[in-house]
Amino acid sequence: MKSLLKIILWTAIALAGAGALAAIAFERREPLNAVWFVVAALCTYVVAFRFYSKFIAAKVLALDDTRATPAERLEDGHDFVPTSKWVLIGHHFAAIAGPGPLVGPTLAAQFGYLPGTLWIIVGAALGGCVQDFIILFCSIRRDGKSLGQMAREEVSKRGGMIALLAVLAIMIILLAVVALVIVKALKESPWGTFTLAMTIPIALLMGIYLRYVRPGRVLEASLGGVALVMLAVVSGQWVNASPAWSSAFTLSGPALALAIIAYGYAASALPVWLLLAPRDYLSAFIKVGAIAALAIGVIFVRPTLEMPALTRFVDGNGPVFAGKIFPFCFITIACGAISGFHALISSGTTPKMILRESHARTIGYGAMLMESFVGVMAMIAACALQPGVYFAINSPAGIVGKTTEAAAATISGWGYALDPQTMSALAQRVGEHTLLDRTGGAPSLAVGMAQIFSGTIGGERLLSIWYHFAIMFEALFILTVLDAGTRVGRFMVQELGGHVWKPLGKSGSTPGILATSAVMVGAWGYFLWQGVQDPLGGINSLWPLFGISNQLLACVALVVATTILLKMGRARWIWVTLAPMVWLVAITMTASYQKIFSANPRIGFLSQANVLAAQISSGAIPAEKIAVTQRLIFNNRLDAAVTAVLAAMILVLIVEAIGEWIAILSGRKAAVLHESSYVATRWAEGGD
Amino acid sequence: MKIIRNWPRNFWRWIRQVSGDAAYENYLRSTRRIADVAHVDSRTTQAGCCSTHATSSQPLTRSEFYLDALRRRYSTVSRCC
Repeated sequence: MKSLLKIILWTAIALAGAGALAAIAFERREPLNAVWFVVAALCTYVVAFRFYSKFIAAKVLALDDTRATPAERLEDGHDFVPTSKWVLIGHHFAAIAGPGPLVGPTLAAQFGYLPGTLWIIVGAALGGCVQDFIILFCSIRRDGKSLGQMAREEVSKRGGMIALLAVLAIMIILLAVVALVIVKALKESPWGTFTLAMTIPIALLMGIYLRYVRPGRVLEASLGGVALVMLAVVSGQWVNASPAWSSAFTLSGPALALAIIAYGYAASALPVWLLLAPRDYLSAFIKVGAIAALAIGVIFVRPTLEMPALTRFVDGNGPVFAGKIFPFCFITIACGAISGFHALISSGTTPKMILRESHARTIGYGAMLMESFVGVMAMIAACALQPGVYFAINSPAGIVGKTTEAAAATISGWGYALDPQTMSALAQRVGEHTLLDRTGGAPSLAVGMAQIFSGTIGGERLLSIWYHFAIMFEALFILTVLDAGTRVGRFMVQELGGHVWKPLGKSGSTPGILATSAVMVGAWGYFLWQGVQDPLGGINSLWPLFGISNQLLACVALVVATTILLKMGRARWIWVTLAPMVWLVAITMTASYQKIFSANPRIGFLSQANVLAAQISSGAIPAEKIAVTQRLIFNNRLDAAVTAVLAAMILVLIVEAIGEWIAILSGRKAAVLHESSYVATRWAEGGD
Repeated sequence: MKIIRNWPRNFWRWIRQVSGDAAYENYLRSTRRIADVAHVDSRTTQAGCCSTHATSSQPLTRSEFYLDALRRRYSTVSRCC
């Protein structure tokens, strides 16, 4: 009787999910309500977790709770700390959830809601969650070793070096692109700039409190910090209204870029307790709170999605970024569906804290499902906007024109009706001078979130405050990624530099810290500056570059996972990691090829460089703009070279891995696993 | 009924754990557990050489622990994109 009820229940959930997915895919008669998306996502997640992750846990990995985890065997109270799975899933989710699952789906909404939504839900269930879960398991079995160490030991020495270089490359491009997102969101926005600027003294205050007044009392310091940040958001409206203050906080794109570069350098070189850590606490609190509020708001308001299922830009001529659905939708949405960066977290602190092997399923697979749901929420918020408004905010001035009238005429010409007054009125309602030319996804997401939040609390009266709250929330945790990423990048540069000149490698050496911080900030700062100067908005070239590098890192993770499964004698199950790996190789290699060689200058870096060079030769560029144009030509060629190097590194790794797989399968080479030895747990079964 | 009655307390405990507010208490508990295991190991093996656990004679103060935890957390990738 009980099992019959279970069968009925799971059949009902599966049918509800399938029905909702079918409605999303095929309903064209009227705009869809967001509830369909929530039902489709949640039912798919529940079924995937219950059946697919259980199959991986039982058959593919054969998780063993009698085996002591590193947290038990190596417990030291610092790195190796046995932690309840419900606490660890919170830590893990806070670590993997960054700006990616919010910005990527917002940008991909230019294709319509259908391609991105399907990729987020299906990609996570079959790819992202599998990667996170299996890499977490592999790291647990290897005393918490990192992805690079596992690649070196299980694939080849070169594999380890490729992983290290890929991580450094992705870090540089990631930091540049997220900084660009902030620049695009805050330029000419005194309210937003003031709010974000205020988070710096608030974080410093929290840092001093946590260091000297009440050491380590994170909760009380964070609650105080959140209250001060909310006060800053509200008082931003008075700054905006005051001519003197407003002009002091109105910064151009280049000025903001320089300020962010200076900030990144300071945050990387200052003691971690003073700025980085308190900002991280503040950002984690606001991030989790805002994401939960968005989920509740979507369910409460149940907005209708105004964006069509597919837009005309599936042809590859989209104004937000150029390129067709395949492969560009799948590299634009990385976090939210599958992200190589997650493999670094899954082989970082989490495996050192896990209590039992079976918890890897909830934490690795489950936390990624939560992140995927964040991606679906972002897609809903972006597609709830009128398509004309969405394109006006996200298209660069170089494509739609600089004035509201020009933008409205261009976008209406695409078939998405837009009244110039609508954009001016919307900007006024959210407390901005203009919302045009705000590429990067953050402002359109903020408008979508503000509409959902104000539909729940405060109505039209609070729209401008909700908008700036959403901007502050996005910018705050982007800055946290910037701080933490620059610092880790600095350690990597120190490690590499130490091989060249020993004093550089000393972690405590002040000249070493200052020099390597400058190298790291200079590297991402260069790409940021390039994006700010780009007449096509920068996002068009930098976000795909980031997507390619992130997905290439996912290829590294899945190559390592497949190799380990083969060595474990699970050849019949390797399709679990091999299928997403083949898909990722196909999309990243196609995207890399198109970004380098496409004849369309909006897609291909080299053809863009050639077009600009031809314009200089023909005298079409005025003399005063020749130097800038030459720099653009150089930047395009540099981007092409970076893409080629990343793709070549991964091809080398894959060729090496395939050689290893063939040698193992043909019996020419013994399958040597580098797992730690089995030690029986001392702890009773069933503990949490 | 008991679950509902205990919910606020359990939620508060969970928040303290997830936020890192309880990290120092966890550390002290952990050092006590390590000392206990080391003690048992040394009695069973008599030589006291086989425990894989790290042992330290004096636990860190709250302030020392806080700085040490930050140094460890931010020297590796701790935040994703």
